[in-house]
Amino acid sequence: MIQIQDLTKIFRDKKRGERAVVDHISFEVRDSEIFGLLGPNGAGKTTTLRMLATLLKPTSGRATVNGNDVTTAPAEVRRRIGFLSGDMGLYHRLTPREILRVFGRLNGLTEERLRARITEMVDMLHMEDFADTKVDQLSTGMRQRAALARTLLHDPPVLILDEPTSGLDVPTSRVIEEFILQAKRAGKCILYSTHVMEEAEFLCDRIAVINDGRIRIIGTMSELKAATGRERLREIFLDLLDNKVAGRVAP
Amino acid sequence: MNFRIVRAIYAKEMLDMLRDRRALISMIVVPLVAMPGIFAVMHYFTENLSKKAQEESTRVGATAKISQPAIREALKNAGFELVPVSNPRTAVESKAVAAALDEDRGPANEDRVVIFVDRTREASSMAAEKITSALERLKLDQVKGSLRGLGVSERVLNPFSVTSSNVAPEKKMAGFILGSVLGYTVLLLMFTGGMYPAIDMTAGEKERHTLEPLLASPASREEIILGKILTTTTASFLTALLTIGSLLVSMQNLGLGQGGPEMENLVSRAAPDAGTVFLVLLTLLPTALFAASVMTAIALFARGFKEAQSMLTPVIMAVVIPAVVSLLPGLELNVGLALIPVFNVSQLIKEIILGEYSRLSFLTAFLSNVVYAGLAFWISVRIFKTESVLFRS
Repeated sequence: MIQIQDLTKIFRDKKRGERAVVDHISFEVRDSEIFGLLGPNGAGKTTTLRMLATLLKPTSGRATVNGNDVTTAPAEVRRRIGFLSGDMGLYHRLTPREILRVFGRLNGLTEERLRARITEMVDMLHMEDFADTKVDQLSTGMRQRAALARTLLHDPPVLILDEPTSGLDVPTSRVIEEFILQAKRAGKCILYSTHVMEEAEFLCDRIAVINDGRIRIIGTMSELKAATGRERLREIFLDLLDNKVAGRVAP
Repeated sequence: MNFRIVRAIYAKEMLDMLRDRRALISMIVVPLVAMPGIFAVMHYFTENLSKKAQEESTRVGATAKISQPAIREALKNAGFELVPVSNPRTAVESKAVAAALDEDRGPANEDRVVIFVDRTREASSMAAEKITSALERLKLDQVKGSLRGLGVSERVLNPFSVTSSNVAPEKKMAGFILGSVLGYTVLLLMFTGGMYPAIDMTAGEKERHTLEPLLASPASREEIILGKILTTTTASFLTALLTIGSLLVSMQNLGLGQGGPEMENLVSRAAPDAGTVFLVLLTLLPTALFAASVMTAIALFARGFKEAQSMLTPVIMAVVIPAVVSLLPGLELNVGLALIPVFNVSQLIKEIILGEYSRLSFLTAFLSNVVYAGLAFWISVRIFKTESVLFRS
């Protein structure tokens, strides 16, 4: 599980001075739960996920993954997460199978287990036709499946997914969604960022709306509706961005 | 540091690099094609130019003031074609003739032959030299004739003679040339050969957003950087190996192109033995590590491929300077000089090929390069841990 307490990230640059990109946010994501982080571009979603994946160090506050602190035990954290971002980060000159081999080894899988897992992933994500084709010749949908396979390969208990369906067509998004639901059934703890409302509404057990680095509201879909008096997530979201509602439901 | 992870990263980077056409061109094609190419072109030009200069140099001008028929006779015998000119200066300047002769009165009121020459033209210099020696011979003959008329032996002109004998063995002469050219070329190409892989694995990964999953994997920053630096080291060393091989082959087949056939013979006989080649390669190993670490550290700063390229180009130019300095004859490596990176290597290579290196300067140069490489590695890791550099856009 993921626990975040007063997590803050301040960026300093010469032009804009100090900016709190993530400003004292707190929430937790349990096992077998999909937690959606919803917000417009620049709200602080990616920075939050990057702190959890130990790519960025928090300025203050605490974040733990299965009890391991991201600041003091980053290596332990990285062993327990699968991280996927919208731009996938696949090596263009390698094939999906080669990429899986690299990341399996980085995650310390034995060669035997690595082979078994790769076969499993290729079967599960229907990658037989393109597992040995270089990534730069693959369609976006194929790439996203390869990226997902890389994320799940070492069977991490925690998944951190940063807009995993951005730029995908409906059928491919559907494949990804199915996998996220399947991972939830397998007991994984899933933190998921998006700005696609239907996706959040359909997938997430709980949702936090984040804007300007702060969490505006947090709760299950029905809690959100009750607190705002709105029916649709889109309306709740737009209201919050306009700051008409400053409600906050306890996590 | 988990070496299984370093190996996994190294294997990935090598695979990626060997599929990168740009890296392959600078690593393999340049040393294999450019080297013999440069030699062939140099050879062609020097051969043709000197032939052309030779032909041009036979045409010289002479004013009407050249009174002594003996002078005209001597020049004709030396193979010159004499063209009458009115203004010797403009005749040479306009390239109508290679050089021109005029006559006036010298300080002792003697007849003085003035040679007009354009020292920037090879044909003109060549003509002037040949005219001078022809006229010196003529003068000597005339003096000898006068002495004979006076009944004096011509031996008074030559009470003793002087000659010099080169004690440097032929191999050493050739080694001097080979060593100078090799050190400089190999160093330059080692840096250019490692440049593309270094950029591709750092700034390139940033640009393509492939760094994030790597950083989110259990691999530590140190392991990632070490894997990358070792890959660039391999690229640099491979370039060096190919450069040396191709340089030796082109030297033997095409000659140096400079210094005439005598020198070509020398160089083609100067194939260094296996021991020498081994020592040179041993010297280049920490140099490759040094080049890779420095370029990785610098390329890490860049946002993208192009920026990294413009940051690294001045570095490569800076490399050339100390390497060129070591082309100067007479420099000898001491412990102090052996601490200067790049320079120490090009100098050491020259001395190894000459068979004149000292163990102390070899060790100093070797170890100092290892230390510099370690320092650059440490700096790279520091940079790699700096969020503002890693995630700036």
